[in-house]
Amino acid sequence: MNARPNAWHSATSRLILIYGVLFALWGFVLVCVIQWETTRYLNSVIDQMLMQRMHYIASTDPERLPTTVDAASAIDPHGIMSVGLFDRDHRPVAGNIDHLPVSLPRDGQVHLLKHGLPRPDRDAERVRARGLASMLPNGDILVIAKDTSTIDGIGAIIRRALLWGVSLTVIPGLLGGFLLRRGPAKRIRELQEATDPIRQGDLSKRLPVSRRGDELDQLAAIVNTMLGEIERLMSEVKGVCDNIAHDLRTPLTRLRARLYRTQQQLEGAPEAALVESCMVDIDAVLTRFRALLRVSELEDRNRAACFDEVDVGQVLRQVHEFYAPVAEDRGQPFELEVQPLSPIRADAHLLFEALANLVGNAIKFTPPGGTVSLRASMDKRGPRVDIIDSGPGIPADERDAVTRRFYRGDNTRSTTGSGLGLSIVSAIVRLHGYALDIGEASAGARLTLYCYALAPGEKPGTCLSRTVPEVTTATA
Amino acid sequence: MPRVLVIEDDETTAREIVAELGVHGMSTEWVADGRAGLERASQGDYDLVTLDRMLPGMDGIDVVAALRRAQVDTPVLMISALSDVDERVRGLRAGGDDYLTKPFAPDEMAARVEVLLRRRQPTVAQRLRVADLELDLVSHVAYRGGQPLTLLPTEYRLLEFLMRNSGQVLTRSMIFETVWGFHFDPGTNVIDVHIGRLRRKIDGTGQSALIHTVRGTGYMIAAANEAASVVS
Repeated sequence: MNARPNAWHSATSRLILIYGVLFALWGFVLVCVIQWETTRYLNSVIDQMLMQRMHYIASTDPERLPTTVDAASAIDPHGIMSVGLFDRDHRPVAGNIDHLPVSLPRDGQVHLLKHGLPRPDRDAERVRARGLASMLPNGDILVIAKDTSTIDGIGAIIRRALLWGVSLTVIPGLLGGFLLRRGPAKRIRELQEATDPIRQGDLSKRLPVSRRGDELDQLAAIVNTMLGEIERLMSEVKGVCDNIAHDLRTPLTRLRARLYRTQQQLEGAPEAALVESCMVDIDAVLTRFRALLRVSELEDRNRAACFDEVDVGQVLRQVHEFYAPVAEDRGQPFELEVQPLSPIRADAHLLFEALANLVGNAIKFTPPGGTVSLRASMDKRGPRVDIIDSGPGIPADERDAVTRRFYRGDNTRSTTGSGLGLSIVSAIVRLHGYALDIGEASAGARLTLYCYALAPGEKPGTCLSRTVPEVTTATA
Repeated sequence: MPRVLVIEDDETTAREIVAELGVHGMSTEWVADGRAGLERASQGDYDLVTLDRMLPGMDGIDVVAALRRAQVDTPVLMISALSDVDERVRGLRAGGDDYLTKPFAPDEMAARVEVLLRRRQPTVAQRLRVADLELDLVSHVAYRGGQPLTLLPTEYRLLEFLMRNSGQVLTRSMIFETVWGFHFDPGTNVIDVHIGRLRRKIDGTGQSALIHTVRGTGYMIAAANEAASVVS
């Protein structure tokens, strides 16, 4: 989600692009209309002129007609206006046209000559022309034509104007749009960065709201209000849970103490077993309450944990040693494979607790005779620990749910436990900024702990070195 | 008869502590205020002090720190409603010898008190002995009936902790804290399995059992005849 957004995944960019395209289209249509209108107008001007000239020449004395035609063609050194007189056998009599154009009907109406007129002085290039042919009373044919390259030239000027206009408008427009987009895109990135801790469960964070009060700010304000409400509800739910656990612990502990005394007094009597089974049940409840409070405690810690350089491999070896007898009792081969790892910044005690929970689960849910293996290896970004078992695995649709408080898979209800082990693990993982991935192995479940210190917020001030009472100190 | 000073402002808890320690044959005195408690603890000749973390008048941490500054080395068991690991570390750093979180099972509290009392009597011996089980603290070798036993490092540490406190009930959490050095709830099962292994090595076949299960509480190592009173 943090990837740089695509340049066109922005409302501004899209708007500008759509505007650009619409503008270009409109410009194109406008120019087309102008060109069409201009051409039509110029054509009609030429047509009128041609008709007038035809009328003028045709109305001269038939005897002097060839002279008039020659005179008319003589005043056209640039070959713009063509005049030709042909006899009834289509032979040229006068003028500057080689032969009678076949395609031109002799109806006295102006027609477009796509390929111009054959002329002795301009044989190389033949430009478009408009012309008309008239059958004279004596059977001769008079042809007058005017080349229309000027009209085409005007069309070209208009088209060039369109090209310039569009490029001068659209290119700076798109560029400006791109630059404009950077503002909102930068703010979106800021918002994304602000949501990172929220996504990781820190509901105390809020989105930044600028003083501009624009759409993004309004949205951010709405989200912030929602976050506030969610935080309030979450803390209420958590508070209720914790309070129940906290308040019930004291009376339950007293009850257990009384049962313990009763059991001691009943020594040997048949009721003793009954009392003991009560104590076992109370212990189960107390264990669950302890785990629940432990989760809250870890969540409340807010990264004030005691981080130090830790060798994950060493911690994993301790966990392996701790659980080896349990796996052995269950007839499970329990493999350990630790590759050389770079040290990480972590709280060794919490890391042990998390790994112990994961390994304990793997052993518990793998049937006797199955295998459990622990692997620590180096990833591209840091050490990773894989816990692979040959148990029933965790169904894909339960993988998100298992880290929730009290969640227990349908097929694990008969197994003892608080249902809080993975909640504790995920609280510890969150505290470290690590990642836990639940997947599947060839024969069962695979849980991977990625020990990438994404952001281990250290607070050296709150860090206390752990002094553990050791056996040997007892001699002092 | 060991004398214990109970500094605790909550009357119910205090009565519980006094009653439980009385059962274990200790004489107790109760003070409800921090300042008065500090005075009594520094003057009186007590074998142990149980100290609430949050007290009127003076904070428990300050009381234990003041005691240590005054060169009073009476063992102090801190009892607190603050369960966070950092709170525990703070308590132990200030000079507390052990830390117990409220609410506690009285037998657990008593077990911790007895372990602390035992620590006061320094063991100078290089060998620990329970019946015909011997542990050489120098060579790290255990013998049962003169025969050496092969123990893994963890098994050795576990046996050492049990034997240093022979005849004394040790809870699972005390064992986990001392032998492994961690302070969370690993589930009872794992500790039981470790004890079971050690037991198979020590109590072998045809020998009298030395490691006893104390139902509802924990474990104890003792010669069969000494254990009879505690173990059901």
